[in-house]
Amino acid sequence: MKRREFLKSSVVLANAAAFGGRAGGAQQASVPCPVTLLSMPDYGRDMEKEIAAIMASDGLRLKGKKVLLKPNFVEAHPERPINTNPSVIASVAHACLRLGAAQVIVGEASGHRRDPWFSVLNPAFRSILDKKVRCVDLNHGDAVAVPNKGGLTGLPHFYLARPVAEADILISLPKMKTHHWVGVTLCLKNLFGVLPGIYYGWPKNLLHYRGIERSILDLARTVKVHYSIVDGVVGMEGDGPIMGKAKPVGALVLSPFPLAADSTAARMMGFDPRKILYLAQAGRFLPGLRQQDVVIRGERPARFASQFDCLDEFKGMRGGPFF
Amino acid sequence: MERLISETGNLVERLLSLSLPDGGLPYYRGNGSSAEPTLLAVIGLSVSGAPAERVKPLLAWVQGLQNANGSVGVDPGHRDQGVWLTAQAAIVFHHYGIAENAKKALAFLLSLRSVTSAKDPKLRQDDTLTGWPWVPGTFGWVEPTAWSIIALSLSGLGGNPRAEEGTRFLLDRQIPSGGWNYGNPALGGKELLPFWDTTGLALVALRGYGDPKRVGVSLELMGKNQGKIESLSGLSWAVLCLDSYGRDSARAKGKLLSVMGSLRDEEFHAGNFALGLVALSGKKVFIP
Repeated sequence: MKRREFLKSSVVLANAAAFGGRAGGAQQASVPCPVTLLSMPDYGRDMEKEIAAIMASDGLRLKGKKVLLKPNFVEAHPERPINTNPSVIASVAHACLRLGAAQVIVGEASGHRRDPWFSVLNPAFRSILDKKVRCVDLNHGDAVAVPNKGGLTGLPHFYLARPVAEADILISLPKMKTHHWVGVTLCLKNLFGVLPGIYYGWPKNLLHYRGIERSILDLARTVKVHYSIVDGVVGMEGDGPIMGKAKPVGALVLSPFPLAADSTAARMMGFDPRKILYLAQAGRFLPGLRQQDVVIRGERPARFASQFDCLDEFKGMRGGPFF
Repeated sequence: MERLISETGNLVERLLSLSLPDGGLPYYRGNGSSAEPTLLAVIGLSVSGAPAERVKPLLAWVQGLQNANGSVGVDPGHRDQGVWLTAQAAIVFHHYGIAENAKKALAFLLSLRSVTSAKDPKLRQDDTLTGWPWVPGTFGWVEPTAWSIIALSLSGLGGNPRAEEGTRFLLDRQIPSGGWNYGNPALGGKELLPFWDTTGLALVALRGYGDPKRVGVSLELMGKNQGKIESLSGLSWAVLCLDSYGRDSARAKGKLLSVMGSLRDEEFHAGNFALGLVALSGKKVFIP
């Protein structure tokens, strides 16, 4: 990905007309969106029971369903919290089994690493999962062309990895991170990883070339996310999503509404989601952007309120205090 | 060596056990036939001494996948996608002396160009250089560029201006302290980490071209770290590149053999496994 592309894209996207108006335009009708904050001070604790209870209370019905968990494994670095932590993924996978899921698959099309050993096929990661949980490299394998329901990128369709297309339930499991092109990367940005690299490359430069924000929005219209859990136990601030620094927050953010999870996580990071272009635009077709629509459950959000350091160009996205 | 000889037959059979009725191979069991695992299997099986009649269906499947414009895409259902794979197809056609298919594939490769842009002083890379993209109409990256250079070099086109510029492209994308990743040596002034697979592939592609001193730091990095690599893909490329430069690859080769012998079905990536067979064979099929 290249800064020039971003600048080019940003110039276009900054034109409100390109999206039919910014956040001040027509928004989704008000829908109460539950978001639960679950304290998880470190990765040493198994949260299976707590997560299962929250998903059940949110009305997520998994009995007999084929569930695909989509973590974020963009890159591997021994000292940086780049990826969704394996213990969070394991807790969610086991919670899904507890709720009666017929199949639980952990799938990822890693954005930078072609070698699946650095992603979901890593033996150490797989060793902590119940034997009933399958891990699937979404970068290599069959794909299904589905019509692009957005149209901002001009791409007629997306090639979804077949396990994604065939899943009954898709759960997005991103890491809470800043992003050096779009501000933050959370549940919606995590959708890049349902597209196989064999079609889109490493990185998925076609999506960058068509505009990262446009691509996120097209994917958010095309791919249904049934549940979202943001790993904010240790996030990444500064020059994320790869080169930033660890930022402990100590919480998981859970919601049946991906935009509500993203907007809440952004506020916890000290950013105003209405100033983050793709989140603001997603608010035109997904519920959960406005703070008054978010119904916080579990822990008090003020407990986790942070100020994530960010690159200068994103400092204008800061806001709050929100809680 | 004895262990290698005794195990190669089993490894070949394991790879062939993924063969599908249409003649191709999938990436993973349960998927349909795909170009890359089938192409790499053709090479891997050939250098491992598999009987020609067992390779023939794979080769026929690949030939059938070639489009009228010479390109080869992901699979029969998505023939226009992933056409960077044409480079691997050209390598296979070259080794099998299938002149017409090879000629068309090379012509397509020479027509496939990455997008360029003016030099950005903030970046440690020269975006005016043309390489090869993953997807037509986008920027160039290390892996498709390296495969394309290998294909052109094997076919006697290493002196073609595209191959020469591609070589400069790869050298430009080398991380200053050694190695390659997907194709950005640095971001925001900070060096990024190298990957074993792309480092090995780029070194193989650059074998014999340019000043050897310019890749010395990467070769040293690979040689020193070969004992630490754990993945099938990384080990395969470590062996392939160290062997290409006449360096000792014993540690990586021993580990590669162990990894290939212990893979479980769900982690059995047929393309990487076939590449492992090429590496274990010691045959230098990717350099002229």
